[in-house]
Amino acid sequence: MQTRHAALEGIRVIDLTVWFQGPVAAQHLADFGAEVIHVERPKGGDQGRGVRSIKALPVGDWNQYFLVINRNKKSLAVDLKQPRGREILYRLVEKSDVFLSNLGAENLALWELGYERLREVNPRLVYAVTSGYGRWATASKPAFDMTVQALTGLMNRLGEPGQPPIYLGMGSGDAYGGLLGALGILVALHQRRLTGKGQIVDASLYGAQLLLAAPTLQAYLATGDPRFARQRSRRDPENPLWNTYAGRDRWLFLCVANDDASYATLRQALGDPPVARDPRFKSADARRAHTRALVEVLDGVFRERTADDWTARLRAEGLAASPIGTLRDLSEDPQAWANDYLLETYCEEVKRQVRVRGLPIGLSKTPGRVETLGPELGQDTELLLSELLGYSWEEIGELKSQKVIP
Amino acid sequence: MSRALADIVVLDRTSSFWASLGVALLGDFGARVLRIEDPAPRAGMGDNGAAPRVPWDWERELANRNKRSLVVDDRRPEGREIVEDLVKRADVVAIDRPLREVEERGWDYETLSKLRPELVYARGTGFGPQGPDRELAAIDELAAARAGMMPLLPQPGQPPVYPGHGSMYTAVMLAFGVLAALEHRAASGVGQIVDVSLLAGNMYGASLDLQAYLAIGGERLLAPVSRLDMGNPMSGTLYPAADGKWVTLTMPDTDRWWPAFAPLVGIDPRDSRFDSHEKRCEVNRLELMQVLERAFAQQSSGHWRAAFNESQLSADVIEDYSFPENDVSAYRNRYLVDLTHPSFGRMKLLGFPVFLSDGTATLDRLASCAGQHTGEVLHEWLGIDEDRVTELRAQGVVA
Repeated sequence: MQTRHAALEGIRVIDLTVWFQGPVAAQHLADFGAEVIHVERPKGGDQGRGVRSIKALPVGDWNQYFLVINRNKKSLAVDLKQPRGREILYRLVEKSDVFLSNLGAENLALWELGYERLREVNPRLVYAVTSGYGRWATASKPAFDMTVQALTGLMNRLGEPGQPPIYLGMGSGDAYGGLLGALGILVALHQRRLTGKGQIVDASLYGAQLLLAAPTLQAYLATGDPRFARQRSRRDPENPLWNTYAGRDRWLFLCVANDDASYATLRQALGDPPVARDPRFKSADARRAHTRALVEVLDGVFRERTADDWTARLRAEGLAASPIGTLRDLSEDPQAWANDYLLETYCEEVKRQVRVRGLPIGLSKTPGRVETLGPELGQDTELLLSELLGYSWEEIGELKSQKVIP
Repeated sequence: MSRALADIVVLDRTSSFWASLGVALLGDFGARVLRIEDPAPRAGMGDNGAAPRVPWDWERELANRNKRSLVVDDRRPEGREIVEDLVKRADVVAIDRPLREVEERGWDYETLSKLRPELVYARGTGFGPQGPDRELAAIDELAAARAGMMPLLPQPGQPPVYPGHGSMYTAVMLAFGVLAALEHRAASGVGQIVDVSLLAGNMYGASLDLQAYLAIGGERLLAPVSRLDMGNPMSGTLYPAADGKWVTLTMPDTDRWWPAFAPLVGIDPRDSRFDSHEKRCEVNRLELMQVLERAFAQQSSGHWRAAFNESQLSADVIEDYSFPENDVSAYRNRYLVDLTHPSFGRMKLLGFPVFLSDGTATLDRLASCAGQHTGEVLHEWLGIDEDRVTELRAQGVVA
């Protein structure tokens, strides 16, 4: 037994991925101390490095897209189209625990990086891919976050009736696919301790997004009730006391059970407005039967004060409510900072502290950390080749002149 | 076939759907999971008024599959003793009760780790174990309200949207955190606390929007953008088809897709208004959107899907839940499973999102009834003889 400062110290991961879903899977491992080597093509590297704008806004003086997703990683630049480039990767496979890729299966086969080939090099290797539609998909087509989300049914049920469907946010499904990929890798590493062998892990964007839909998708699968699949107006909620309301300045979320004691407390917190004493709202069943009317009444009441004011009054009565904040509110939320969900870290590129999304999973004795932001393209190539893979400086010079490495 | 997590014993003291589902992910891969339930479970927070799930409680089925169940009254000394004996044999305890209640009931890490120093203790909260709101109720709606995305999701002028999926990130984080801690324990022999929260899960789901705001700031990233004012007419956009369904496009590098895409929507690829990425996405961006809006309205969604597929474009039709329900690929990949339930007949259940070639996830058992394994566990795990079990039952210590 050894003392370890990071949970995944000693695990080496080859991260041959681009954009978000693949890289973020490796990021979770890197945050907890795995040695993650982002393998990139010498010319341009991971396409994420090329991001210049987000939602039509210039990305600014540091490319946060690439640098945050690839934090705590090393970068090895190598041309895998050349046999000598692949030779480097095979040597790396020999010394690694995990190979992770989100390049297409055809690409990996073309470069002789399929599972069968790599297993020959290292039978203990965990071979992980993050795919679009899964290992047993019937058709092959391009898979991006939003086009896959479109198929799951998730988008179709959000928003007011008649409004366009709603995408859950940039990379919302990729983030989940990546997290599930990271989970699969840890399961396989655990099993390796029992069997001594590696295996294939496949976490797809489609499978992930179906699970993401679980709360309503499972309800639909169980009942066939189309209401779970369709848009539902906030004017017609299941429970009018569990709903969004507009305060004078911004919206708030009210989360109160529809029982008589809770309703009495709510009335109290709202200053006992006479409209809320209407006999139509006398009992839980009555309120359910007159949902729309009650929502209208509450709409009128909540407009009177700010969301913060209401929230304070409701919480003082032991009721659950929250203002509905923007990303700016979140960026200033002491709760997010106190738990390291937001962090400041040094950015080499601009030589200053920058704010980054932090560590969503806490480990009390071996917490994750953000030590470095994403690496420069190929910054660790020579050192890895000489120190880890045993290449001589002469060989390294040769590889450079042949443009196998930059 | 070996099971990936066969050597792990988990005590599951969770009650929320998301936390229980996180624990179920461990059971899917073969961990031995035992739910420890109160004799008369009290109604928790989170009664959002949803219709009762009858006759089949699908949430319980999904979140408590592959688990055994023991009912014990841990407020009584004999019950507490049983719990402590189980903790001594456990690798993982998972809990999602409010922090104060956890302490009062003696389920806190401090107490349990004295019994079992190597314990991995997974704790789910609403807003994290630190900070002013550490005791705030673990309700996904409250966390979503804090995570910044709700005002951003709808079209401009529309009410904020509660998407309802944030807790699913947290569920997987729970399982991931436990495995990371077990990995550490295997190397060091040391156990620890794993913390996950609904706020962190919701924030993680918003990763790219949040990080963009943190780095760029300003107003544009805080409020919704109209669907006909997107930065790129061919990426992240929605257009209605003739049959009322919507199509969506994700072709950010438009140069690559344009030659195949333009003819499908009746545009000459050499049309001088749109013959460069710059013209499509800057100079004539709004005009292209209007042209696409009219073009997509000419044909039904079925036509567009066939056309997208034939040209291998990154575009698709927005479906409802009947699509995955009837999708062969979803079942072949076991993302959905079709099963015959002994009480309720043929049922469709969400399956297994991650494929492992050797340690495949399996459905070994459906969700147990509360207390279904009380006798078995007391007898086989703790060596308590049957007479004593009967006595404990009679005294109401176990059920």
